[in-house]
Amino acid sequence: MTSTTAVSVAPTLHAGETIRRSDRRLGIVMLAPALLYIALLVAVPFLLALFLSLTNSSAGSLEFSFVGLQNFENVIASPVFRRALRNTFVFTFVSQLAVIVLGNVLARALMKSFHGKAIARFLILLPWAAPISLATLGWLWIFDSTFSVINWLLKVAGWLGPGQWYYWLGDPTLGMVAVIMIHVWRMLPFSTVILLAGLTSIPNEVREASAIDGAGLFSRIFRIEIPMMKPILTVAVLFGVVFTFTDMSVVYLLTRGGPYNSTHVLASLAFQEGVLGGDVGRGAAVAIFLVPVLVVLAIFMLRTSRRAEVV
Amino acid sequence: MQTRRQFIQRGTKLVAAGAVATAAGPTILVRDAKAAGQLKILQWSHFVPAYDKWFDPWAKEWGSKRGVEVTVDHVGFADVVPRATAEVAAQSGHDVHMFLGLASAFEEHVIDLKDVVATLEKKHGKQVELAHRSTYNPFTRKQFALSDMWVPDPGNYHKEVWTKIGKPQGPVTYDDLVWAAPEVKKVAPQMQIPIGVGLSQDIDSNMAVRNILWCHGGSIQDKDGNVVLNSPETLAALEYAKKLYSVGMTQAVLSWNAASNNQAFNAQETSYILNSISAYRTAQDNKLPVLEHYYFVPALKGPKATLASEHVMSGYVVWKFSKNQDVAKEFLVALVDAARESMLASKLYNFPSFYGAAAEPGTPVNKRAESGGAWITAQCNKDPFGSNPPDKLALLAKSVPWSTNLGHPGFGNPAEGEIFDTYVLTDMFAKAATGALSPKDSMMEASTRAKQIFDKWRQKKMVPGGGKDK
Repeated sequence: MTSTTAVSVAPTLHAGETIRRSDRRLGIVMLAPALLYIALLVAVPFLLALFLSLTNSSAGSLEFSFVGLQNFENVIASPVFRRALRNTFVFTFVSQLAVIVLGNVLARALMKSFHGKAIARFLILLPWAAPISLATLGWLWIFDSTFSVINWLLKVAGWLGPGQWYYWLGDPTLGMVAVIMIHVWRMLPFSTVILLAGLTSIPNEVREASAIDGAGLFSRIFRIEIPMMKPILTVAVLFGVVFTFTDMSVVYLLTRGGPYNSTHVLASLAFQEGVLGGDVGRGAAVAIFLVPVLVVLAIFMLRTSRRAEVV
Repeated sequence: MQTRRQFIQRGTKLVAAGAVATAAGPTILVRDAKAAGQLKILQWSHFVPAYDKWFDPWAKEWGSKRGVEVTVDHVGFADVVPRATAEVAAQSGHDVHMFLGLASAFEEHVIDLKDVVATLEKKHGKQVELAHRSTYNPFTRKQFALSDMWVPDPGNYHKEVWTKIGKPQGPVTYDDLVWAAPEVKKVAPQMQIPIGVGLSQDIDSNMAVRNILWCHGGSIQDKDGNVVLNSPETLAALEYAKKLYSVGMTQAVLSWNAASNNQAFNAQETSYILNSISAYRTAQDNKLPVLEHYYFVPALKGPKATLASEHVMSGYVVWKFSKNQDVAKEFLVALVDAARESMLASKLYNFPSFYGAAAEPGTPVNKRAESGGAWITAQCNKDPFGSNPPDKLALLAKSVPWSTNLGHPGFGNPAEGEIFDTYVLTDMFAKAATGALSPKDSMMEASTRAKQIFDKWRQKKMVPGGGKDK
């Protein structure tokens, strides 16, 4: 009896262990591409950037020497950098605020049934699918300081009088407005889709119950829907913020940081200094300033994702 | 029928195979010019597209006669430097890389082309001085690039408008622009920007502000490489820009890209721009109404000088990592030899850096520059591409004396290149002109940055000077 038990248990344990080991191996294999990708394309460039920011490395050379914190000192003393730092926060904050508000409006509209909904949905998603370089070229003409179609329309409508003209890309403030407008246009579909998913995940019973209890539109939105959508809303905001904070394409394609380097964000300034100007050390130092903010955002994102069980 | 485990295992193998294939991709998909008998050239997309239609088959034909497979890749002018940066980092890519302007930042990674220049000078005589000053580093004594062509940068003016204000021959001095601006507003109120001198972060503005600076006696560096931007002459140039901006320009010029001044002039929205003849050729090709009013003037006279920067200066380099350096050198010699074809293919946009290469065949070396000059003059005096009157471009034939290189009065060097590429001067001018900063503050800001850049390159022992920085 005893020996029989021993014989029947031993193979079971062995098989379970084999499966566990095999699963572990499989897990490693499955994770390896992602880890390799992150290590090669994120960790290594990041460490390299940290390293280069302490050197006088230039684009045309593989030789360099350590300069300590000199790049950081020079960068902080530069008014162009300080402006770019400020712009980065303005760009991120304003565009995300606009995206979330407008995304909410659009998502709510798309929840209703109406004629041509499929076309409306297609048009709303179009900016997300359009290549940014192509789209920005179109916007470049729309905001062109001499030929802006917006200005011509405003002129025809009587908004702009004789001698009045908006120099969208020639004025630091209007330049930032243009950059933010395009970014909002570009990010809106993503935000709308996420918020639409969030809204549709709220059971109808909850809405019906709130209506029976006499909740008005704003009470329903702010006291029921937004709290229920909070995890997905937070994910949408955090993704949007990270994406916006690190983006340089709109600035680079639209204003190239001008007029007089007044519309740069950190990413575009880092590109101008490090790649176009060839001062890799300085460019890396500019880019490194993105890191503290991104680290905080990443921690937030991971926590929120965990709470929302997104990962 | 396969189990889930089998499916996953097969899938894993497939992914692994894919990863290997991706890693091997560059060697399969992007041919590395390692094999003898190959030559890979990176060229810009020429502002006059007809040139590319000539260059690509010409280069291939040159190669086929020698058993060399020539590949030409084109990039937009803004991507020339980023592409070079990537190739240097990878230590792989093309054999020959064409720069516009200064290639000096890449000096360490290119071979010395002294022997190529010596061969060409033996055949054709000396190259024009501004080409020499843009491709040779006297500090390291390295011929880091070879220029086959450069482009003059005249003023383009609207003859009808300037005739109405009493100057049918166009402006002669910088003060003429200030004087003319309010007059243009009176006779052509529909023009948005009476005088269109760019103050933006683009290549044309970069040239324009240097012209103003030099003509007022200022410069970034002196002939020995000392930074002298902080000077009364710079201040005078900035005061001038402020005056010109207030009477004749709008914020539009702060946002211009390389094509904007062309577009503004061709749409008759401005009466004067600084540009090569590419905008004019566009007007011709499209038979624009502006064509009959399209005329040119040489560099404007300033209080201290009459100078204009070259508009484009080719700088061909051969990378040290190239396995085909000898073929590359032969190619460069052939390209310079083809000066006449090149100039005609570009519709007189390209001017030979070796005038002698455009000489009549059989002309002795000591007479070749003169002979080539005569041929160039003949082309400009009777434009084969349909100018009306035919001698509209005649002034270009006399453009060498008023044209100079980036880095004037010194040689082009990596510090000058970095200042150019990061728009230090255009920002200085734009801030002073618009009142964003006072001329003095804007000069001091730019001077500080210029000195930082020069110091960095001096530490790398690629730029001279420093003892007499201001």
